[in-house]
Amino acid sequence: MTAAAPSQSSPSWRKGIIAYLMVAPPLLLMILLIFIPALQSTARTLTIDVNGAPGFSISRYTAFFQDPISVSNLFFTFQVTLITLAAIFILCFPLAIYLRFANGKLAGAVQVLALFPLFVPGIILAYALIRFLGTRGTLDNVLSIIGFTGYRTPYLKPDAIIFGLVWESIPFTVLVLTAGLRQISDSLIESARDVGANSWQIFWRIILPQIARPVLIVFSLNFLGIFGSYTIPYLLGPAAPQMMGVFMQQTFGQYRRPDDAETQAVITFIICAFIGFLYVRTVANQRKREDSE
Amino acid sequence: MSAQQLAAPPPPVEGFWLGTRRSFQTMIRKNGFGLIALVLLALVILGPLYSVVLWAFAERWQYPSLIPQVFGLSFWERTFARADIAEALPFSIVLAATVTLISAVICLPASYAFARMKFRGRQLLLLSFLATNAFPRFGLYISIAVIFFRLNLIGTIPGVILIQLVNTLLLMIWIPTAAFQGVDRSLEEAALDVGASPLRVFVQITLPMVMPALSAALLLTFVNTFYEAQGALVVGLPRIVTMPVLMYSLINSQLIVQYGAIVSLVLWAPSLILLILAQRLLRGGYLTAGFGV
Repeated sequence: MTAAAPSQSSPSWRKGIIAYLMVAPPLLLMILLIFIPALQSTARTLTIDVNGAPGFSISRYTAFFQDPISVSNLFFTFQVTLITLAAIFILCFPLAIYLRFANGKLAGAVQVLALFPLFVPGIILAYALIRFLGTRGTLDNVLSIIGFTGYRTPYLKPDAIIFGLVWESIPFTVLVLTAGLRQISDSLIESARDVGANSWQIFWRIILPQIARPVLIVFSLNFLGIFGSYTIPYLLGPAAPQMMGVFMQQTFGQYRRPDDAETQAVITFIICAFIGFLYVRTVANQRKREDSE
Repeated sequence: MSAQQLAAPPPPVEGFWLGTRRSFQTMIRKNGFGLIALVLLALVILGPLYSVVLWAFAERWQYPSLIPQVFGLSFWERTFARADIAEALPFSIVLAATVTLISAVICLPASYAFARMKFRGRQLLLLSFLATNAFPRFGLYISIAVIFFRLNLIGTIPGVILIQLVNTLLLMIWIPTAAFQGVDRSLEEAALDVGASPLRVFVQITLPMVMPALSAALLLTFVNTFYEAQGALVVGLPRIVTMPVLMYSLINSQLIVQYGAIVSLVLWAPSLILLILAQRLLRGGYLTAGFGV
């Protein structure tokens, strides 16, 4: 913690005001562009015009949940999010454990490849994946040269969305998990091994509890990222069902129905509220612990 | 194989082969996971980029050849002769630079205050910027767009700048705050003791020490903003078209594959700068700072 040096010339309250003035612009911007839109949208979706006066109503929500297309899009978004999250953990956990305990050139090369997607923007990835996964794309091509001709492209199917979203999430997930694993000392694991623990027990009893926080951060941020994604599902996914991002943009941009788009947005807020809270709380706790160390 | 050959003493080459085979086997046993991970990652991560790079330099590429039949650059000229691309590229660069500059002007004084001044709620306000990550992003954009719609900010440059500023706040505040906190105060105090003015101390002592972090924050903000497509899409269309937004239509409605490939390669240039500086950015923890970790 840094303590501001007491200044002789100006009393502390004056310094406090200067500090508040300095932090005010970004705070105001955040309030104006995040909190007010979110709150206002929520309020508006619960309001109905009753003879010129505003009245409370949940009619916009009942309309959403009575519309089969809206419900199937919401359900689809959930499905893609959960499958993608599972795939991310299944892939990235072993990678992170490997990178934590392995040294040398091979591990270095694996790390470079795992982090490479950080340097490929989403829009370029979408284009590249169409060329890679599409009919007569690279994968199809290579497989047919080996003699496998039954390739059926995942392009414009949910699988392509999941592939793209996992691809994008690998670097961040591996980075955070590996950093968390580095907090566990070698001696702790060695002593567990000395008393006869096997790899599985070491993973469940020692590694997992120690990296609960990084796992929560990765889980929550990936959940929010996938649930709020647009580019990959729009360019790689099916026309129906759609993920919520694509659905909202279509409602807002194409059909010009901002009120309905707003309802869809607020529904994603409500679903993600707990996850967002989990993310903020976990990062806040993590920083507090780092500060006190 | 003839009996004569079998009877002959094994040539030294075979001994060498046996040795390498054995060492290859132990290598697989020892590094099995690493090798499998390396091969799979190389296929999945680099595979999609393969055809993008080749398509950009292909004159003619017909299925099922693995490489183009005719290489050439004629499509580069045609790509940049397109009015939409010639207009969007410089506009995107200027826009990203503008957003970065505004973000710096707003956030850097705040980060100095967060790091160096004492005021009530300092920690809480600093953590509140995590809220920028705690919403499903596309839902938030729709919510902002609904407000902008009523304020007539849709399709305007100020609208796009505002929505893109949201994404820059966390990075532009947290990285510099950590840097200002990390400055060794004794040097500053020594300079003050020998009579240097506070301004001079700041410019000649504090600033050089935080410069690496500040330049990282500026660079990352610029690159992230340059690639920001979703906010610009929701708020900017139909009048404001940035390069990444143009990519959506190049992907969706272009029969000529080369346009998308060439634009992808050109668009990738800023990421290449990050890739070159990757080690430094990674060591400073800057690459994950945008996620709050």
